[in-house]
Amino acid sequence: MLKGKIALVTGSSRGIGRAIALKLASEGADVIVNFFRRREAAEETAREIEALGVASQVIKANVGDPEKVSEMFDIVSGRFGRLDILVNNAASGLPRSALELDAKVWEWTMDINARALLLCAQHAARLMEGRGGKIVAISSLGSSFVLPKYAAIGVSKATLEALTRYLAIELAPRDICVNAVAASLVPTATGMLYAGGGKQEMSSPPPTTPAGRLVSAEDIASVVAFLCSEAAFMIRGQTIIIDGGTSLAPFNLE
Amino acid sequence: MSAVEDTVKDIVVKIVHCEREILKPEATFQDMKADSLDMVQVLVALEDEFGIEIPDEDAQKFKNFGDFVSYVEARVAEKKGNA
Repeated sequence: MLKGKIALVTGSSRGIGRAIALKLASEGADVIVNFFRRREAAEETAREIEALGVASQVIKANVGDPEKVSEMFDIVSGRFGRLDILVNNAASGLPRSALELDAKVWEWTMDINARALLLCAQHAARLMEGRGGKIVAISSLGSSFVLPKYAAIGVSKATLEALTRYLAIELAPRDICVNAVAASLVPTATGMLYAGGGKQEMSSPPPTTPAGRLVSAEDIASVVAFLCSEAAFMIRGQTIIIDGGTSLAPFNLE
Repeated sequence: MSAVEDTVKDIVVKIVHCEREILKPEATFQDMKADSLDMVQVLVALEDEFGIEIPDEDAQKFKNFGDFVSYVEARVAEKKGNA
């Protein structure tokens, strides 16, 4: 379905980003794996992508740093000359309540989680010029609901979703579709750091959803792949909630 | 003290806001009262300063400040050797 497309997935060495990168590759896209701190994991993801018969490239860049973002897109442009899909997935933060936040943590979180979408979308739009493209941002339920120790990340995700709407309209005339997905808790290593306000252990029984299980990274990857397909052409600026019904029935959990 | 160690100390003091005197080889990151964001910012600053890479896979193995400095010195020496 995505054969011949060039995709960049930020923060795709592990977790949700990795699942998205592999899903897009399985649909035929060449996938650029961006990472910040874990090169070995990124290279492993790239090897798995190549094993699917498509091209991959690993690029180290802190998406919170405008210069590093610019350098990353220079590499993409130099090797591929264009971009069809940008998945803005990279995220960071510390488990802190609003009253525990200092300026340093706030700026770090906003720069990586929210401003990176702005900068990456600006670069991506240039590489999509004249041919259209898809941009998908990864949000979380913390954008609309109050989760424990999630203040800065939640606000950064709300910013991301608002920016998704502005980008969707501004880029619509260029045939660039911009959307977001927001998931409830996904039991990746990072997800479990935030479960129960950072108190949940991996060994504790995890919470569930009305759908009977937690959301997986693959659930998110499937929706992202759909938003990257032509079937989703008329969906613009939306945030698709992937939570097994949790947000509709918050008092319904056993 | 090596020039590399001196620079590592400058960067740690600037980012973590700890006293320079506590940065002895046996000092742990708990002694410095550095949180995980402080540590990432120190690693990134050192990467930019020396043009090296310190992936988390390696950083997780540092037991104390001495390990950390030895690692950075080795990477800097490796880079000079390749230049």
